[in-house]
Amino acid sequence: MDNRRGLQILNNDWAGPALICLASIIVISVLQPSFLSPFNILVLLSAIAVNMVIALGQLVIIGIGQMNLALGTLGGLVGVCFVGAIEVWGVPTPLAIMMGLGIGALAGMVNGAIIARTGISAFIITLASLQIFKGINLGITKAQPFYGVPDIVKQFGNTAVIGPLPWLILPMLITALGLWYLFRCLRIGRYILAVGGNRQAAELSGIDTVGTVIWAHAISGVLAATAGMMLVARLQIGQPTIGDDWLISSFAAPVIGGASLSGGHVSIAGTFFGVVIIAIITQALVLFSIDPFVVQIVLGGLILWAVGINRFREWRFAKMEAAGVRP
Amino acid sequence: MSNLLDIHHVSKSFPGVKALDDVSMSLAAGSVHALLGENGAGKSTLIKIITGLLHPDTGDVVLDGAPTRFNSPREAAAHGIAVVHQERNLVPRFSVGENIMLDRLGKGSLSRIDFAAVNQEAARWLKLLDLDIDPQTPVSRLSVAQMQLVEIGKALSLKSRVLLLDEPTASLTPAESEALFAIIRRLKADSVAILFVSHKLEEVFQICDTVTVLRDGRNVCDSVPLAGLGRQDVVMMMIGRPERISSRAPRPKTAAKPYLELGDFGSAAGHQGIHLSVRPGEIVGLYGLVGAGRSELAKAVLGLYRQTSGTVCIAGAPVHIASVAEALHRHGIGYVSEDRKGEGLILMHSVLDNAGVTVWRRLAGRLGFLASGAIARRIGPVVDKLEVKTPSLRQTIGNLSGGNQQKVSVAKWIAAGVRLLIIDEPSVGIDIKTKAYLHDLIHELAAGGTAVLLITSDMPEMIDVADRILVMDGYRIKGEVENDRNYERVSQAIMTHIHSRQAA
Repeated sequence: MDNRRGLQILNNDWAGPALICLASIIVISVLQPSFLSPFNILVLLSAIAVNMVIALGQLVIIGIGQMNLALGTLGGLVGVCFVGAIEVWGVPTPLAIMMGLGIGALAGMVNGAIIARTGISAFIITLASLQIFKGINLGITKAQPFYGVPDIVKQFGNTAVIGPLPWLILPMLITALGLWYLFRCLRIGRYILAVGGNRQAAELSGIDTVGTVIWAHAISGVLAATAGMMLVARLQIGQPTIGDDWLISSFAAPVIGGASLSGGHVSIAGTFFGVVIIAIITQALVLFSIDPFVVQIVLGGLILWAVGINRFREWRFAKMEAAGVRP
Repeated sequence: MSNLLDIHHVSKSFPGVKALDDVSMSLAAGSVHALLGENGAGKSTLIKIITGLLHPDTGDVVLDGAPTRFNSPREAAAHGIAVVHQERNLVPRFSVGENIMLDRLGKGSLSRIDFAAVNQEAARWLKLLDLDIDPQTPVSRLSVAQMQLVEIGKALSLKSRVLLLDEPTASLTPAESEALFAIIRRLKADSVAILFVSHKLEEVFQICDTVTVLRDGRNVCDSVPLAGLGRQDVVMMMIGRPERISSRAPRPKTAAKPYLELGDFGSAAGHQGIHLSVRPGEIVGLYGLVGAGRSELAKAVLGLYRQTSGTVCIAGAPVHIASVAEALHRHGIGYVSEDRKGEGLILMHSVLDNAGVTVWRRLAGRLGFLASGAIARRIGPVVDKLEVKTPSLRQTIGNLSGGNQQKVSVAKWIAAGVRLLIIDEPSVGIDIKTKAYLHDLIHELAAGGTAVLLITSDMPEMIDVADRILVMDGYRIKGEVENDRNYERVSQAIMTHIHSRQAA
């Protein structure tokens, strides 16, 4: 019985990625002891914190069975608006943060409303809004960074709370735990997964699917905005290019973590380990001064591997059903 | 007895077609009402009007004596009218309890779900249905029959007084259907008005009290008691001519060498020790309950499941079939899937493309170009012969009725000139007239020398069509019954084989 329970833990979405994390940390730290130096851990955790919030922004949309291509350019737009408002209008920092989150929520709601009301695929709508957000970004910045990032923001993005733990993991913890609670215990979270799992069933059960889609995109927008501002804090400038490279890893981490791209199933813990794996690979290649193009190839391979694992699980599940193994 | 729900002279037109023409029907509390009619008779339109998905052009839906107008199924549900659709409408990853209570998980979007209360309430409805399932079980672990009952529980939990069941037994085994009927009888005793839509007349006579028959959008009869009617009367009302039941004489046995022969065959799907042979010109039936492994056996023969043991011989020569393409092009084996919409047809493509897909490879020119003309010349006669009702070969197949879609799925294999045709549940969702036509067609094919393997859960169909019936259970062949078209004897023999499972 105990043995079986042990195996069941291995069946969890996050078990595989967690084992890979552990193994690669051990291998790399043996080969390169400086990998576990407090400074390196601080750098690693800062990257993980930002990338986790990005991945969560995509995870919500994956949960409802859609995709959000505009995640990156929305994050970038909020990033420059945040710094721009402080620099140009002299808006106090807390107010600028609220404004940034508001822009994220609003832009997400608009995306969600168009998708839900027209029935056009999220791929097309967010492809269009990706362009629009980027255009607004370049119009505001004229492709030049804003430099007026307040010191407190810079410190938040580059100092540690205690030991090697950066302040940046605070927003990551809040959003990750919040989302975990949302998907597990709140009505809207269950509705997002219900719509992702079987939209017609959700609709016929009297769930407001339009409202649920709008909610999901609004949450995704808020997470994109949070990640955009976290990156501003980390980079210490309002770069107009923030968000340009989010797309692949925002999908890779949830998928590695066991999310089903057809919707209805997500794993926050799995996504976290997905983010960690990507961060470790990126770091390791720097530590061993391997060509950066290898990162791209390895990341692509990881996505294929993750999708393969998910497929294998479904196949095995179907086979168990066929053999009549039912409780 | 007072009527709970009355349909008063309802008419509904769509562009080009009058779906309902002055239709009336009355449902009384505590009775089971059958709604019958062939495909396209207007049953679905009527159900959509009752549940508020459509509004009648003229006429009224009267609930408790007062005319009502629902704007959505949700509103209808609030007034105590619930539907269990033919397709399953559950969220697979969610628990049984959550599915039952899905629309009542909390007051606001951000309210916290009280799972204990949800499961407790769900358990109450499961208990009412005698379902011994923990409400925390994920729906994906249930059998199809259990899912169906969960949906009924969900409908009842909305305090429904009117329950519409659309083909509830389509995917149930006879035993599961019996269990469902027991529940229907109990609901009836609790004064629920039940509307029962089914193509299976045996079931209708078993549990229904009154019947409304529609034909071409009109009432043939309006809520008459079923007691005075015979099966032939009802069939007559539905199609306008009496149905022939097993009027065919047993066909002469053929002595030809088997075209397909499986010896001690085993597959990765779980089959073991399967012995089976089909001769040219012979119709071999494969009977079994849902989950017996019949469709899987067909797919294993086609190479979709790996062969793990035994031998496969085509025309006497041992072969190994690795893919469907090989099965078709090298060995002439065709498969008409039970899942017409999912596996058989490409719904958004034309009739021509669907029927022609099997012959593209043969008709493609030297450079691989396909000439529509050549394909149409090949397909046209077959489509005409099968009396497929389509305005043209260019028509999108999704727009045809289920019966005509099924004809096209058979047509594509006839066009390909297959030597062995495996037909899986040919008459699911097909009206009686088309069904009889398909049966004639299968006989004609066999008379022309095609070997036919017929898979069906419909006992009258099996006895009407097959020459020899193999009974399957638990991925093994349990026995063989020679079909002399004597319904009583043959069905008894089949059941004996299936129930021998405990002994075996």
